[in-house]
Amino acid sequence: MSEIAIKELLYKIADDQLILGHRNSEWTGFGPLLEEDIAFSSMAQDKVGQSQAMYQLLHELGEAEPDTVAFMRNSDQFHNCQLAELPNGEYDFSLIRHFLFDFAYAIRFEMLSNSSYVPLAKLSKKIQGELRYHTMHANTWIKQLGSATEESISRLQNSLNEAMPYALGIFEPSPYEAELKSEGIFDGEEALKEKWLAKITEVINQTQLQLPDITTLEPKMGGRAGQHTEHLQPLLDEMAEVFRIDPTADW
Amino acid sequence: MNKSLDPRVNRLNIPTGELTPKVPLDQFGTFEVFVQIKEGKGYRHEGIVHAPNRDMAFLFAKEQFSRRLMCAGIFVVETRNVFVTAFTEDKDNIYNHISDTYPEDGEEEQYEIFHLEKRGKQHDHIGSVPAKNHQQALALAKPNFIDGDPIFNVWVVKTSDILFTNEEDMIMWNTLPEKKFRDASDYRAADKIKEFKERQA
Repeated sequence: MSEIAIKELLYKIADDQLILGHRNSEWTGFGPLLEEDIAFSSMAQDKVGQSQAMYQLLHELGEAEPDTVAFMRNSDQFHNCQLAELPNGEYDFSLIRHFLFDFAYAIRFEMLSNSSYVPLAKLSKKIQGELRYHTMHANTWIKQLGSATEESISRLQNSLNEAMPYALGIFEPSPYEAELKSEGIFDGEEALKEKWLAKITEVINQTQLQLPDITTLEPKMGGRAGQHTEHLQPLLDEMAEVFRIDPTADW
Repeated sequence: MNKSLDPRVNRLNIPTGELTPKVPLDQFGTFEVFVQIKEGKGYRHEGIVHAPNRDMAFLFAKEQFSRRLMCAGIFVVETRNVFVTAFTEDKDNIYNHISDTYPEDGEEEQYEIFHLEKRGKQHDHIGSVPAKNHQQALALAKPNFIDGDPIFNVWVVKTSDILFTNEEDMIMWNTLPEKKFRDASDYRAADKIKEFKERQA
Protein backbone atom coordinates (compact mmCIF):
# COMPACT_ATOMS: atom_id res chain seq x y z
CA MET A 1 0.00 0.00 0.00
CA SER A 2 1.34 3.43 -0.89
CA GLU A 3 2.47 4.84 2.44
CA ILE A 4 3.32 8.27 1.08
CA ALA A 5 -0.19 8.62 -0.37
CA ILE A 6 -1.78 7.58 2.94
CA LYS A 7 0.36 10.05 4.89
CA GLU A 8 -0.59 12.89 2.56
CA LEU A 9 -4.27 12.02 3.06
CA LEU A 10 -3.97 11.75 6.86
CA TYR A 11 -2.02 14.99 7.19
CA LYS A 12 -4.55 17.08 5.33
CA ILE A 13 -7.48 15.63 7.30
CA ALA A 14 -5.69 16.04 10.64
CA ASP A 15 -4.54 19.59 9.88
CA ASP A 16 -8.03 20.60 8.69
CA GLN A 17 -9.58 19.34 11.92
CA LEU A 18 -6.94 20.88 14.17
CA ILE A 19 -6.95 24.32 12.56
CA LEU A 20 -10.73 24.65 12.29
CA GLY A 21 -11.13 23.14 15.76
CA HIS A 22 -8.81 25.79 17.15
CA ARG A 23 -10.50 28.57 15.18
CA ASN A 24 -13.97 27.56 16.33
CA SER A 25 -12.76 27.38 19.93
CA GLU A 26 -12.09 31.11 19.74
CA TRP A 27 -15.87 31.51 20.10
CA THR A 28 -15.77 30.07 23.62
CA GLY A 29 -17.20 32.71 25.92
CA PHE A 30 -18.47 34.83 23.01
CA GLY A 31 -21.22 32.62 21.53
CA PRO A 32 -24.62 34.17 20.78
CA LEU A 33 -26.26 32.40 23.74
CA LEU A 34 -24.94 30.23 26.53
CA GLU A 35 -26.27 26.93 25.20
CA GLU A 36 -24.90 27.62 21.72
CA ASP A 37 -21.57 28.73 23.14
CA ILE A 38 -21.25 25.35 24.86
CA ALA A 39 -22.42 23.39 21.80
CA PHE A 40 -20.05 25.18 19.41
CA SER A 41 -17.11 24.88 21.81
CA SER A 42 -17.84 21.21 22.36
CA MET A 43 -17.82 20.54 18.61
CA ALA A 44 -14.51 22.41 18.38
CA GLN A 45 -13.16 20.00 21.01
CA ASP A 46 -14.47 17.07 18.96
CA LYS A 47 -12.45 18.33 16.00
CA VAL A 48 -9.26 18.68 18.03
CA GLY A 49 -9.88 15.17 19.40
CA GLN A 50 -10.33 13.84 15.85
CA SER A 51 -7.09 15.48 14.72
CA GLN A 52 -5.30 13.92 17.67
CA ALA A 53 -6.53 10.47 16.61
CA MET A 54 -5.31 11.12 13.03
CA TYR A 55 -1.87 12.32 14.21
CA GLN A 56 -1.71 9.13 16.27
CA LEU A 57 -2.24 7.06 13.10
CA LEU A 58 0.57 9.07 11.48
CA HIS A 59 2.78 8.41 14.49
CA GLU A 60 2.18 4.69 14.03
CA LEU A 61 3.43 5.14 10.44
CA GLY A 62 6.68 6.63 11.74
CA GLU A 63 5.87 10.35 11.98
CA ALA A 64 6.72 12.34 15.14
CA GLU A 65 4.58 12.40 18.33
CA PRO A 66 1.12 14.02 17.90
CA ASP A 67 2.01 16.99 20.15
CA THR A 68 5.23 17.65 18.25
CA VAL A 69 3.46 17.48 14.89
CA ALA A 70 0.65 19.74 16.08
CA PHE A 71 2.70 22.39 17.86
CA MET A 72 6.16 22.50 16.28
CA ARG A 73 5.46 23.13 12.60
CA ASN A 74 5.26 26.47 10.80
CA SER A 75 2.47 27.50 8.44
CA ASP A 76 4.23 26.33 5.26
CA GLN A 77 4.34 22.80 6.73
CA PHE A 78 0.57 22.67 7.32
CA HIS A 79 -1.74 20.97 4.79
CA ASN A 80 -5.10 22.36 5.84
CA CYS A 81 -7.33 24.05 3.30
CA GLN A 82 -7.38 27.85 3.51
CA LEU A 83 -11.08 27.79 4.48
CA ALA A 84 -10.12 26.39 7.90
CA GLU A 85 -7.65 29.15 8.77
CA LEU A 86 -9.74 32.22 7.84
CA PRO A 87 -10.63 34.42 10.83
CA ASN A 88 -14.00 33.78 12.48
CA GLY A 89 -15.58 37.04 11.36
CA GLU A 90 -19.11 37.35 12.71
CA TYR A 91 -21.28 34.39 13.66
CA ASP A 92 -22.87 34.23 10.20
CA PHE A 93 -19.48 33.48 8.61
CA SER A 94 -18.57 30.91 11.26
CA LEU A 95 -21.91 29.14 10.76
CA ILE A 96 -21.57 29.07 6.97
CA ARG A 97 -18.02 27.73 7.21
CA HIS A 98 -19.18 25.11 9.74
CA PHE A 99 -21.98 24.11 7.33
CA LEU A 100 -19.74 23.86 4.22
CA PHE A 101 -16.84 22.19 6.01
CA ASP A 102 -18.71 19.68 8.14
CA PHE A 103 -20.84 18.35 5.29
CA ALA A 104 -17.62 17.78 3.32
CA TYR A 105 -16.12 15.96 6.28
CA ALA A 106 -19.21 13.91 7.11
CA ILE A 107 -19.12 12.60 3.53
CA ARG A 108 -15.33 12.16 3.53
CA PHE A 109 -15.48 9.99 6.67
CA GLU A 110 -18.44 8.05 5.29
CA MET A 111 -16.34 7.26 2.18
CA LEU A 112 -13.27 6.45 4.29
CA SER A 113 -15.21 4.03 6.49
CA ASN A 114 -14.91 1.63 3.53
CA SER A 115 -11.21 2.31 3.01
CA SER A 116 -8.86 -0.58 2.32
CA TYR A 117 -6.52 1.03 4.86
CA VAL A 118 -8.14 -0.62 7.88
CA PRO A 119 -6.96 1.64 10.75
CA LEU A 120 -8.39 4.65 8.91
CA ALA A 121 -11.62 2.81 8.08
CA LYS A 122 -12.14 1.92 11.75
CA LEU A 123 -11.43 5.43 12.98
CA SER A 124 -13.68 6.96 10.31
CA LYS A 125 -16.59 4.79 11.46
CA LYS A 126 -16.16 6.10 15.00
CA ILE A 127 -15.90 9.73 13.86
CA GLN A 128 -19.05 9.53 11.72
CA GLY A 129 -21.21 9.65 14.83
CA GLU A 130 -19.70 12.95 15.98
CA LEU A 131 -19.98 14.38 12.47
CA ARG A 132 -23.66 13.44 12.32
CA TYR A 133 -24.33 15.81 15.18
CA HIS A 134 -22.14 18.51 13.63
CA THR A 135 -24.08 18.42 10.35
CA MET A 136 -27.40 18.32 12.19
CA HIS A 137 -26.29 21.39 14.12
CA ALA A 138 -25.23 23.23 10.95
CA ASN A 139 -28.38 22.18 9.12
CA THR A 140 -30.75 23.35 11.83
CA TRP A 141 -29.07 26.75 12.12
CA ILE A 142 -28.86 27.32 8.36
CA LYS A 143 -32.49 26.34 7.86
CA GLN A 144 -33.57 28.51 10.77
CA LEU A 145 -31.62 31.67 9.88
CA GLY A 146 -31.72 31.09 6.10
CA SER A 147 -35.47 31.75 6.11
CA ALA A 148 -35.88 34.03 9.13
CA THR A 149 -35.43 37.79 8.67
CA GLU A 150 -34.06 40.04 5.94
CA GLU A 151 -30.97 40.62 8.06
CA SER A 152 -30.28 36.96 8.82
CA ILE A 153 -30.79 35.94 5.18
CA SER A 154 -28.57 38.68 3.74
CA ARG A 155 -25.84 38.07 6.32
CA LEU A 156 -25.76 34.34 5.56
CA GLN A 157 -25.88 35.01 1.81
CA ASN A 158 -22.88 37.38 1.97
CA SER A 159 -20.92 34.88 4.03
CA LEU A 160 -21.85 32.06 1.65
CA ASN A 161 -20.60 34.09 -1.33
CA GLU A 162 -17.39 34.88 0.50
CA ALA A 163 -16.73 31.34 1.76
CA MET A 164 -17.60 29.37 -1.38
CA PRO A 165 -14.29 29.79 -3.31
CA TYR A 166 -12.44 28.71 -0.17
CA ALA A 167 -14.80 25.77 0.37
CA LEU A 168 -13.92 24.53 -3.13
CA GLY A 169 -10.30 24.50 -1.92
CA ILE A 170 -11.21 21.60 0.41
CA PHE A 171 -11.20 19.42 -2.72
CA GLU A 172 -7.76 20.40 -4.01
CA PRO A 173 -6.54 17.21 -5.74
CA SER A 174 -3.78 15.20 -4.11
CA PRO A 175 -0.65 14.29 -6.15
CA TYR A 176 -1.61 10.69 -5.26
CA GLU A 177 -5.25 10.60 -6.41
CA ALA A 178 -4.57 7.70 -8.79
CA GLU A 179 -2.85 5.50 -6.17
CA LEU A 180 -5.49 6.26 -3.53
CA LYS A 181 -8.25 5.22 -5.92
CA SER A 182 -6.60 2.17 -7.45
CA GLU A 183 -5.65 0.80 -4.04
CA GLY A 184 -9.15 1.39 -2.65
CA ILE A 185 -7.90 3.76 0.05
CA PHE A 186 -10.04 6.75 -0.92
CA ASP A 187 -12.33 7.39 -3.86
CA GLY A 188 -10.85 10.83 -4.55
CA GLU A 189 -11.52 14.55 -4.07
CA GLU A 190 -13.64 14.90 -7.22
CA ALA A 191 -16.08 12.18 -6.13
CA LEU A 192 -16.24 13.78 -2.69
CA LYS A 193 -16.94 17.22 -4.18
CA GLU A 194 -19.86 15.93 -6.26
CA LYS A 195 -21.54 14.26 -3.29
CA TRP A 196 -20.94 17.37 -1.16
CA LEU A 197 -22.43 19.69 -3.76
CA ALA A 198 -25.58 17.57 -4.01
CA LYS A 199 -25.96 17.59 -0.22
CA ILE A 200 -25.46 21.31 0.39
CA THR A 201 -27.68 22.17 -2.59
CA GLU A 202 -30.45 20.10 -1.00
CA VAL A 203 -30.19 22.07 2.26
CA ILE A 204 -29.76 25.50 0.66
CA ASN A 205 -32.84 24.86 -1.52
CA GLN A 206 -34.93 24.61 1.66
CA THR A 207 -33.97 28.18 2.58
CA GLN A 208 -34.15 31.56 0.88
CA LEU A 209 -30.40 31.48 0.21
CA GLN A 210 -28.92 31.12 -3.29
CA LEU A 211 -25.98 28.82 -3.93
CA PRO A 212 -23.37 30.75 -5.97
CA ASP A 213 -22.69 29.27 -9.43
CA ILE A 214 -19.49 27.38 -8.72
CA THR A 215 -18.48 27.16 -12.38
CA THR A 216 -17.80 30.91 -12.30
CA LEU A 217 -15.68 30.76 -9.12
CA GLU A 218 -11.90 30.46 -8.86
CA PRO A 219 -11.27 27.86 -6.12
CA LYS A 220 -8.76 28.94 -3.45
CA MET A 221 -6.19 26.17 -3.78
CA GLY A 222 -2.69 25.78 -2.40
CA GLY A 223 -3.40 24.97 1.24
CA ARG A 224 -2.65 21.27 0.75
CA ALA A 225 0.84 22.21 -0.49
CA GLY A 226 1.58 24.60 2.38
CA GLN A 227 0.48 27.84 0.71
CA HIS A 228 -1.58 29.78 3.21
CA THR A 229 -3.16 33.15 3.85
CA GLU A 230 -1.55 35.58 6.30
CA HIS A 231 -4.01 34.34 8.94
CA LEU A 232 -2.50 30.90 9.62
CA GLN A 233 0.87 31.76 11.16
CA PRO A 234 -0.58 34.02 13.92
CA LEU A 235 -3.05 31.22 14.78
CA LEU A 236 -0.16 28.72 15.07
CA ASP A 237 1.91 31.13 17.16
CA GLU A 238 -0.92 31.57 19.61
CA MET A 239 -1.89 27.89 19.70
CA ALA A 240 1.68 26.74 20.39
CA GLU A 241 2.74 29.65 22.61
CA VAL A 242 2.61 27.73 25.90
CA PHE A 243 3.83 24.42 24.47
CA ARG A 244 6.95 26.05 23.00
CA ILE A 245 8.02 27.56 26.34
CA ASP A 246 8.97 24.04 27.42
CA PRO A 247 8.34 21.31 24.80
CA THR A 248 9.45 18.60 27.25
CA ALA A 249 6.91 19.56 29.95
CA ASP A 250 4.49 16.85 31.04
CA TRP A 251 0.82 17.84 30.57
CA MET B 1 -40.09 61.24 29.47
CA ASN B 2 -36.55 62.47 29.86
CA LYS B 3 -34.81 62.37 26.48
CA SER B 4 -31.31 63.40 27.61
CA LEU B 5 -28.36 61.93 25.72
CA ASP B 6 -26.29 61.94 28.90
CA PRO B 7 -26.52 58.44 30.50
CA ARG B 8 -25.91 59.93 33.96
CA VAL B 9 -29.14 61.91 33.62
CA ASN B 10 -31.10 58.89 32.38
CA ARG B 11 -29.87 56.77 35.31
CA LEU B 12 -31.48 59.21 37.71
CA ASN B 13 -34.89 57.64 36.93
CA ILE B 14 -36.70 60.95 37.35
CA PRO B 15 -40.39 59.97 37.72
CA THR B 16 -42.65 61.26 34.93
CA GLY B 17 -46.02 59.67 35.68
CA GLU B 18 -46.32 58.29 32.11
CA LEU B 19 -47.36 54.67 31.51
CA THR B 20 -44.98 52.43 29.55
CA PRO B 21 -45.45 48.76 28.59
CA LYS B 22 -43.73 46.26 30.85
CA VAL B 23 -40.61 45.01 29.08
CA PRO B 24 -40.61 41.22 28.65
CA LEU B 25 -37.48 39.31 29.63
CA ASP B 26 -35.10 39.16 26.67
CA GLN B 27 -34.78 35.37 26.60
CA PHE B 28 -36.05 32.25 24.88
CA GLY B 29 -38.52 29.83 26.44
CA THR B 30 -37.31 26.74 28.25
CA PHE B 31 -37.32 23.06 27.34
CA GLU B 32 -36.96 20.07 29.68
CA VAL B 33 -34.28 17.57 28.73
CA PHE B 34 -34.40 13.82 29.42
CA VAL B 35 -31.35 11.61 29.00
CA GLN B 36 -30.86 7.87 28.58
CA ILE B 37 -27.40 6.86 29.79
CA LYS B 38 -27.36 3.38 28.26
CA GLU B 39 -29.52 1.47 25.84
CA GLY B 40 -32.21 -0.38 27.80
CA LYS B 41 -32.06 2.05 30.75
CA GLY B 42 -34.92 4.47 31.38
CA TYR B 43 -34.89 8.16 30.52
CA ARG B 44 -34.23 10.57 33.39
CA HIS B 45 -34.79 14.32 33.64
CA GLU B 46 -31.37 15.94 33.36
CA GLY B 47 -32.00 19.69 33.16
CA ILE B 48 -33.27 22.62 31.15
CA VAL B 49 -32.13 24.58 28.08
CA HIS B 50 -33.29 27.86 26.57
CA ALA B 51 -34.18 27.68 22.88
CA PRO B 52 -36.45 29.28 20.25
CA ASN B 53 -37.99 25.92 19.22
CA ARG B 54 -37.86 22.15 19.77
CA ASP B 55 -35.23 21.42 17.11
CA MET B 56 -32.85 24.00 18.51
CA ALA B 57 -33.59 22.75 22.03
CA PHE B 58 -32.53 19.27 20.99
CA LEU B 59 -29.29 20.62 19.47
CA PHE B 60 -28.40 22.47 22.63
CA ALA B 61 -29.46 19.64 24.95
CA LYS B 62 -27.22 17.15 23.19
CA GLU B 63 -24.03 19.06 24.01
CA GLN B 64 -25.12 20.44 27.42
CA PHE B 65 -25.90 17.01 28.77
CA SER B 66 -23.91 14.40 26.88
CA ARG B 67 -20.52 15.88 26.02
CA ARG B 68 -18.72 14.40 29.02
CA LEU B 69 -20.61 11.14 29.52
CA MET B 70 -21.70 8.24 27.43
CA CYS B 71 -25.26 8.74 26.28
CA ALA B 72 -27.66 6.57 24.29
CA GLY B 73 -30.52 8.99 23.71
CA ILE B 74 -32.07 12.37 24.52
CA PHE B 75 -35.56 13.78 24.22
CA VAL B 76 -36.85 17.30 24.83
CA VAL B 77 -40.24 18.82 25.63
CA GLU B 78 -41.25 22.44 26.05
CA THR B 79 -41.62 23.29 29.76
CA ARG B 80 -45.20 24.53 29.37
CA ASN B 81 -46.20 21.08 28.05
CA VAL B 82 -45.12 19.36 31.25
CA PHE B 83 -48.04 18.99 33.69
CA VAL B 84 -47.01 18.62 37.31
CA THR B 85 -48.68 17.54 40.57
CA ALA B 86 -48.00 19.05 44.00
CA PHE B 87 -45.14 17.65 46.13
CA THR B 88 -45.55 15.30 49.09
CA GLU B 89 -43.11 14.30 51.83
CA ASP B 90 -42.10 11.36 54.05
CA LYS B 91 -44.45 8.36 53.56
CA ASP B 92 -47.16 10.31 51.78
CA ASN B 93 -47.71 8.97 48.26
CA ILE B 94 -48.91 11.72 45.88
CA TYR B 95 -51.32 9.19 44.33
CA ASN B 96 -53.28 9.30 47.64
CA HIS B 97 -54.32 12.79 46.58
CA ILE B 98 -55.26 11.97 42.99
CA SER B 99 -59.00 11.75 42.30
CA ASP B 100 -60.37 8.67 40.53
CA THR B 101 -62.69 10.85 38.52
CA TYR B 102 -61.40 12.88 35.61
CA PRO B 103 -62.65 15.04 32.75
CA GLU B 104 -63.68 13.17 29.59
CA ASP B 105 -62.77 15.82 27.02
CA GLY B 106 -60.15 15.30 24.30
CA GLU B 107 -59.17 12.65 21.75
CA GLU B 108 -57.42 9.55 23.02
CA GLU B 109 -53.64 9.58 22.52
CA GLN B 110 -50.52 8.47 24.35
CA TYR B 111 -49.18 10.18 27.50
CA GLU B 112 -45.85 9.66 29.29
CA ILE B 113 -45.59 9.43 33.10
CA PHE B 114 -42.55 10.54 35.15
CA HIS B 115 -42.03 9.92 38.87
CA LEU B 116 -39.96 11.58 41.57
CA GLU B 117 -39.04 8.73 43.90
CA LYS B 118 -36.56 10.63 46.12
CA ARG B 119 -36.79 14.27 47.15
CA GLY B 120 -33.92 16.23 45.66
CA LYS B 121 -33.35 13.70 42.85
CA GLN B 122 -34.52 13.77 39.26
CA HIS B 123 -37.73 12.52 37.68
CA ASP B 124 -37.59 9.12 35.98
CA HIS B 125 -39.64 7.99 33.01
CA ILE B 126 -41.96 5.23 34.24
CA GLY B 127 -44.13 4.34 31.25
CA SER B 128 -46.90 5.48 28.98
CA VAL B 129 -50.67 5.29 29.02
CA PRO B 130 -53.38 6.05 26.43
CA ALA B 131 -55.75 8.77 27.71
CA LYS B 132 -57.90 11.68 26.56
CA ASN B 133 -56.15 14.35 28.66
CA HIS B 134 -53.35 14.82 31.20
CA GLN B 135 -55.63 14.44 34.22
CA GLN B 136 -57.05 11.16 32.93
CA ALA B 137 -53.53 9.82 32.25
CA LEU B 138 -52.63 10.55 35.87
CA ALA B 139 -55.79 8.88 37.20
CA LEU B 140 -55.17 5.79 35.02
CA ALA B 141 -51.61 5.50 36.36
CA LYS B 142 -52.81 5.64 39.97
CA PRO B 143 -53.89 1.98 40.53
CA ASN B 144 -50.40 0.73 39.57
CA PHE B 145 -48.55 2.93 42.05
CA ILE B 146 -50.90 3.66 44.96
CA ASP B 147 -49.66 0.72 47.05
CA GLY B 148 -45.93 0.88 46.28
CA ASP B 149 -43.11 3.03 47.66
CA PRO B 150 -44.18 6.64 48.06
CA ILE B 151 -44.03 8.79 44.91
CA PHE B 152 -43.48 12.45 45.82
CA ASN B 153 -44.30 14.15 42.54
CA VAL B 154 -45.58 13.17 39.07
CA TRP B 155 -45.10 14.77 35.65
CA VAL B 156 -47.44 13.99 32.75
CA VAL B 157 -46.49 14.80 29.15
CA LYS B 158 -48.37 14.16 25.93
CA THR B 159 -46.13 11.92 23.79
CA SER B 160 -46.70 14.04 20.67
CA ASP B 161 -45.27 17.08 22.53
CA ILE B 162 -41.89 15.33 22.82
CA LEU B 163 -39.09 15.54 20.24
CA PHE B 164 -37.30 12.20 20.00
CA THR B 165 -34.13 11.33 18.05
CA ASN B 166 -34.77 9.94 14.55
CA GLU B 167 -33.73 6.33 14.05
CA GLU B 168 -31.27 7.39 11.31
CA ASP B 169 -29.57 9.90 13.62
CA MET B 170 -28.92 7.30 16.34
CA ILE B 171 -25.32 6.99 15.10
CA MET B 172 -24.55 10.33 16.73
CA TRP B 173 -24.37 8.65 20.13
CA ASN B 174 -21.49 6.63 18.76
CA THR B 175 -18.58 8.97 19.56
CA LEU B 176 -14.86 8.70 20.23
CA PRO B 177 -14.80 7.08 23.71
CA GLU B 178 -11.83 9.13 24.94
CA LYS B 179 -13.52 12.14 26.59
CA LYS B 180 -11.37 12.52 29.69
CA PHE B 181 -9.40 15.36 28.11
CA ARG B 182 -12.57 17.43 28.59
CA ASP B 183 -12.27 17.23 32.39
CA ALA B 184 -9.83 19.37 34.37
CA SER B 185 -9.15 16.40 36.69
CA ASP B 186 -7.49 14.48 33.83
CA TYR B 187 -4.58 16.94 33.87
CA ARG B 188 -3.76 16.23 37.55
CA ALA B 189 -2.85 19.83 38.18
CA ALA B 190 -2.75 19.48 41.99
CA ASP B 191 -0.22 16.62 41.80
CA LYS B 192 1.96 18.61 39.46
CA ILE B 193 1.91 21.71 41.65
CA LYS B 194 2.82 19.58 44.69
CA GLU B 195 5.70 17.98 42.81
CA PHE B 196 6.90 21.41 41.68
CA LYS B 197 6.79 22.79 45.23
CA GLU B 198 8.73 19.79 46.55
CA ARG B 199 11.38 20.33 43.90
CA GLN B 200 11.64 23.99 44.91
CA ALA B 201 12.00 23.23 48.63
